[in-house]
Amino acid sequence: MIAPSTRALRRRNSQAAEIVAPSPGLRLPKPVRRLQRRAPMYALQGLSRLSSALRELTGHEVIDLNRIMEVAQFAYQQRQLASRGPNYVVDDFGFDPQWTESFISLFKSLYRDYWRVETSGVENVPASGRALLVANHAGVLPWDGTMIKTAVFTEHPHPRHVRALVASQFMGMPVMSWFLRRSGQAVGHPDDTRRLLERDELVLVFPEGTRGTGKGFRQRYRLRRFGRGGFVATAIRARAPIIPVSVVGSEEIYPMVADLRPLARLFGLPYFPLTPFWPWLGPLGMIPLPSKWRLQFHPAVEVSHLPAKAADDQHLVMALADEVRDTIQQGIYDNLKLRRGVFL
Amino acid sequence: MPPFRPRRVLVTGVSNQLGAAVARRLAPHVEQLFGCDVADPVSALEEMDFVHADTRLSVVGKLIRRLSVDTVVHLAVVVDSPHDERGVHETDVIGTMNVLVGCAGSSSSVRRLVVKSSQAIYGAGPQDPSFCSEDMINFDRSASGVTREMLEMEQLVSEFVVRNEQCDATVLRLGFRVTEGTSLARYLSLPVVPTFAGFDPRLQLLHEDDAVESIVRSTLGRHPGVFNVAGDGVILISQAVAIMGGTAAPVLPPYGQWLSRLALRTLAGVDLPAHLASVIAYGSVMDCARAQAEFSWKPSYSSRQAMDALALGRQAEVIEAPSPPQEYELQVYLQQRRRRERRLTAVHPTADKN
Repeated sequence: MIAPSTRALRRRNSQAAEIVAPSPGLRLPKPVRRLQRRAPMYALQGLSRLSSALRELTGHEVIDLNRIMEVAQFAYQQRQLASRGPNYVVDDFGFDPQWTESFISLFKSLYRDYWRVETSGVENVPASGRALLVANHAGVLPWDGTMIKTAVFTEHPHPRHVRALVASQFMGMPVMSWFLRRSGQAVGHPDDTRRLLERDELVLVFPEGTRGTGKGFRQRYRLRRFGRGGFVATAIRARAPIIPVSVVGSEEIYPMVADLRPLARLFGLPYFPLTPFWPWLGPLGMIPLPSKWRLQFHPAVEVSHLPAKAADDQHLVMALADEVRDTIQQGIYDNLKLRRGVFL
Repeated sequence: MPPFRPRRVLVTGVSNQLGAAVARRLAPHVEQLFGCDVADPVSALEEMDFVHADTRLSVVGKLIRRLSVDTVVHLAVVVDSPHDERGVHETDVIGTMNVLVGCAGSSSSVRRLVVKSSQAIYGAGPQDPSFCSEDMINFDRSASGVTREMLEMEQLVSEFVVRNEQCDATVLRLGFRVTEGTSLARYLSLPVVPTFAGFDPRLQLLHEDDAVESIVRSTLGRHPGVFNVAGDGVILISQAVAIMGGTAAPVLPPYGQWLSRLALRTLAGVDLPAHLASVIAYGSVMDCARAQAEFSWKPSYSSRQAMDALALGRQAEVIEAPSPPQEYELQVYLQQRRRRERRLTAVHPTADKN
C-alpha cells in the first residue's frame, strides 16, 4: 500500500521532521555497558591465565586455548554472517559456502578431539574437477557425511566442499531441509547428481541410503545392497571418477538395539532407533559416543575410458558397483584391524 | 518457401499489464494487431483493435476464423488466483480449448500459437529434484488447484500439436513474478512475514520485462516446443523478505498448509494460492537451459534483481496516471477515428493525399 503523498504533504512532513534521540530510560548505566562489551575479552584472559597456571602445576596442557579460540571464532563468525543481511549469494542448489565454512571450525573440533579421526589417502581426491565419492553409511544420524566433508576441507591441500546427496524425505523435514540445503546438499536424484557433476563438483553419495544408517548394532560393518548401481551409471554419463571411501567408527556412535517401526511411521521417519541412551535420556541421548574413527579414501575407479552408452549396460554397471562395494568392504576390514579398540 | 512472418496477430487476455506490454511491443512488427479480453484494457494502444470477447465462450473460435489471424498469442490464462477454482478452470482449460478450436484444422489460417503457462505446473514438494526440467511433466500426475488446471491446459496444447502440423505451438512456462499486486509480492512485502518453521527454500523469479520479451520473441520467431523461462540464480525466502525490509517470522507449522493459508488470509490479509503455499515451503526452481539455447537470449534480470526491482519500486514515487476508464474512452475514440479515415480512403482513394 502506498501512502497518499502530495507535494504539499511532503513539504510539511519534511519541515516537521526532527532527529529524535533514543529514549534514555531503557539504557543500562555506562559501566555495565562497558563490562558487557568487554566480557568476552575478560573471559578469554581469565581462561588463558588458568590454562598457564594448570600447565605449570600438572606439566601438560589441561585447557588448550587454541580449541577455545576456535569456538570463540565460530561465535564471532556467526555475528559476521548476520551482518551480511540479504547481501550474499547462494548457488542454484541453495548452497551458502561462507556460512558452511563457519560451521567447519565447529566440526573440526569434533573431527580432531572427539572422534580423533585418522584419514588416509586424501590425496586420491582430485584438487579440481568432478569426482563421485562413494562411502558406506552408518550411524543413526549422518555424522559420517559431516566427517567426510570436514576431512576433505581440512586435510586436503586444496580445500574443497563436498556436496552430499540426501534422501528426499529429509528435504521435507523442518530444520533438516534448511540446514542440508544451505550447507550444500542436494536431493539423491539422478538429475541432481548429473547437474552437480557437470558443474565439476565433488559429490558424495551413500548408495546404501537409510538401509545403512538404520541397521542394528549386530549388523555393524556389513554393507547393505548398493542401491541398483545408479551411481555408477551417473558417473559413466558424467565421466567422473568414482572414489570409494571406507568409514570406520560411525557404527558405534549410536548403538541401535531396536527399531520401533510404528513410531517411525507415525513421525514419518525412515526408522525410530532405540539405543542404550535414546530415548531414555531425552536430548542427552542424542549425544554420539566418542568412538575412534578412521577414514580411508581409495584410489579412483576411472570410468572416463567408457563410452556414454556403457551406462545402459546393466551388466557392466553392476560389475563396477560390486567392485566399488568390495573395495569399501575391504577397506573397512583393513581399518578395523588397524584400530586398537572401539574407543581407543 | 519464405519463412513465415506474423502479419495478423490476436492477443487474448490483453487487458492486464502483461498483455498490454506484449501488445505494445508487437505493434510495430505486425501489420494488424487485435486484442481481446473480458475487461477494458489498462492502457490504450492506437495500433490495436480491441474486441470484447470472452475466451470461455466458443465465440472466440469463430472470432479467430473471422479475423483470419495467422498468429494467436494466448495470454488469457489465470495463474495467480486464490479464489474460485471453478472460474480458474473455465478460463484456463475451457478458454484454451476454445482458442485451440479456432486454430485447429486446415481451414484455419493460424500458423503460429504462443501459450502462456506457468511454473505452477510443476507444483512443489519435498520429493522433487532440485531443478524442474521441461520433460519432467507427466500429464497423468494427480494434482490440485492451479497445478491441475495447468496440466490439463498443456495436455490440450500437446494434443493440438500432434494433430495440427501446420501450426507451430510454443508453450512458455513463465517463472513466478513479483510485480506489484501478485500474491507472492504481497506476501513478501508484509512487515512481518510468517514463514514455515524450519524451512528456507529457494525462490526463482522472473521480471515482468523478461516475461514480455520471451513472449514477443516466441511470437516473432519460430520456436516450437515447451520452454521454462525464469531469471538466473535463486534467492532464499529469508533473503527476499530482508530485501523487502520485513522480518521473517518462522511461525507457520510445516504440516497442514491449508491452516497456514487460512491464518494468512484472516490475520495478514494475504490470499496465498495453494501452489504458492507449497512453493514457500519447499521451493521451486526450473532449469531454463533449453530456452536460453533456443532463443539465444537470457533474461536480463536475475531472480535477485527481480526482487530488488520490486523493493525499488516500493520506494519510487507513484506518478498520477489517468484512470483506466478515460484511457478506454480515448482508445474507443481513436479506433472510431481510424475506421472513419479508412472508410474515407475507401470512398475517395485520393482523400489521404490531401
